Amino acid sequence: MNNILFLILRRMRLPIIAVIVSYTIAVAGMSLMPGVDPDGQPWRLSIFEAFYVISYTATTIGFGEVPFPYSTAQRMWMSFSIYLTVIPWFYAIGKIITLFQDPGLRQAFTTSRFAREVNHLMEPFYIVCGYGETGSLLVRALDKNEVRVVVIELEQERINELELEDYQFDIPNLCADAKLPETLLRAGLKNPMCQGVAALTNDDHANLAIAVAVKLISPELRVLGRAETEQTASNMASFGTDHIINPYTIFGDHLAMEVHAIGTYLLHEWLTGVPGESLKSPICPPIGKWIVCGYGRFGRSVVQNLELEHISTTIIEADPERTGCKTCIVGNGTEKETLQQAGVHEAVGIVAGTNDDINNLSIVMTAREMNPDLFVVLRKNKRFNAALFEHFKADITMEPSDIIAHECLANMISPLLAQFLSLVRLQTNVWANSLIQRLVETVGENVPETWAISITQENTPALFHMLAHEPVTLADILRNPNHREASLAIVPLMILRNHQPLLLPEADTALERGDRILFCGHDNAKSTTTYALSDFKTMRYMLHDQQLADSWLWRQIKRRKSANNVRT
Amino acid sequence: MNLEKVIFGFFILLALTLNFGFFIGDIDNPHHHHAYELYVAIVVNLIATVLKFGDRTHIGAIHLATSLVADLQLIAAAILWAAAGTNGDDPSVIVSVVSLSGGALLANITSVVLLIAETIQIKR
Repeated sequence: MNNILFLILRRMRLPIIAVIVSYTIAVAGMSLMPGVDPDGQPWRLSIFEAFYVISYTATTIGFGEVPFPYSTAQRMWMSFSIYLTVIPWFYAIGKIITLFQDPGLRQAFTTSRFAREVNHLMEPFYIVCGYGETGSLLVRALDKNEVRVVVIELEQERINELELEDYQFDIPNLCADAKLPETLLRAGLKNPMCQGVAALTNDDHANLAIAVAVKLISPELRVLGRAETEQTASNMASFGTDHIINPYTIFGDHLAMEVHAIGTYLLHEWLTGVPGESLKSPICPPIGKWIVCGYGRFGRSVVQNLELEHISTTIIEADPERTGCKTCIVGNGTEKETLQQAGVHEAVGIVAGTNDDINNLSIVMTAREMNPDLFVVLRKNKRFNAALFEHFKADITMEPSDIIAHECLANMISPLLAQFLSLVRLQTNVWANSLIQRLVETVGENVPETWAISITQENTPALFHMLAHEPVTLADILRNPNHREASLAIVPLMILRNHQPLLLPEADTALERGDRILFCGHDNAKSTTTYALSDFKTMRYMLHDQQLADSWLWRQIKRRKSANNVRT
Repeated sequence: MNLEKVIFGFFILLALTLNFGFFIGDIDNPHHHHAYELYVAIVVNLIATVLKFGDRTHIGAIHLATSLVADLQLIAAAILWAAAGTNGDDPSVIVSVVSLSGGALLANITSVVLLIAETIQIKR
């Protein structure tokens, strides 16, 4: 702010001096001009009176000739002063207006406002670099999950989009290059409330630069880096980027999960979705012979993962030498002949994974014509083609932005959730299905909220205090504070005690101080428990059905009453 | 030679000398203190203030502060004199006006001292 003031003052020097000088000349001259008062005596304006007259003339207010009508000499001087003072005055006003329209000054204003907003954030927050498809999806989900976000984006257009979006929290945003460490510092990299940085720009090099800067400036912060090439990914890994998100690898992985454990996959999608959105119905990819068109980053990952599931694949690739594909059919996959050669009639599924949307659509349209029962996996590259993809209705559409956002969410909502999801991968499909069924029964078919609490003095003072005196079970804290016989629509997913995770704890599990619990449920239930666990009176009601009196007097009376009851 | 420095030094010194010129003389004798001299002193002080705008250094800030003090006192003197109207020549009025300008004089001296200190630091 100080800098802006100095900038304005520096630029306003010349106009202000012009105003002062013109006033000086006009006022001095006015006070020297001879005049005649009504009695015929010679008379002159005093300096103050002259200043008064010039002031109202220069600002074009104009009260007329005071205190007496002027002499010719005074009028001549007055005419001269009007032109002398009005011009510098307008010059100064014009200068102020241009100054406020100056892009440099405006940038200075927005930057300082941004820095102030970030400084005033009193809750833990994440810095999201890049507000493209991925960034906007992630920011929306985080906002719904009540995680605060700071956004840095290079393009003003997207910043405008963000400002038009209806978020429940105010999201500080800056149009600047996140590659510059200065920008990251402004966004609160050194702020003690900053939890981590998500580098999600569509430029791998920029993401790399961001990850390096964060690891150098604040090594303790968590960095989520988007990396679309192997090279960037290994580079990021070399200096300890916490989560490297490669959408192609993740998609391949998920596809494999869908083939062998649809329940696990569904659970994963569900817990990392945007709360409130309805869940897509699950589609199980068939097992048999698959055709993969395009053996790039995407195709390779798909083939590897399908092979792990013992599914045989036939690859169609236009440029086998460059992509390093050993056994493949050369071609685009858009022509009938190539598809025929690959055996489209016997195949059960086809993956259109080239980096050209129109080619991908052409491949699957031709293939479906030849074999209507094909299971279609379609890769979408560009957002503006979304309408075409919606019309085609592929069984699975792979959208990099969606995958990255889900992956980020899993790590950003709570570290517990990421741990839970990795443990889920080790469980059986049956286990996952039963959990899904339980979730649907408790919270309905929409994506629920997932949150973690820790039993500490700061976060849940009431519960923390109670645990010193009596045992409290998980079921106790899930009672409805308005009606204790009923319980809230919450599913406890995991308890972490002394770094030992306990999956799906039973209702009668006794809690301990220092436990961290991962919950899943409706957002109403979330705010209710958060309040209840820190309020002594509510806790006492939930545990013992006792209404604690508000005032000291009532408490004394109650205590006496209960003492009497004991005596009789 | 830097023209900017010449103008800067000129106005700061002129502010001091004009202020001194108005201040010198018997404190209660209106004939020793001319209204136009006060007028010019105020104007020159204002210009000196504006010239000091936008310097971010510490010494620049003090420079600006001294000028603002001088402006404040001189303008207060002028307002007092103008408000007195026809009683402007009364010793009681003129004493207040001149003593206010005396305060401004101190501020202007400080300003010049700063200017000299700054100049001595530059060894070229």
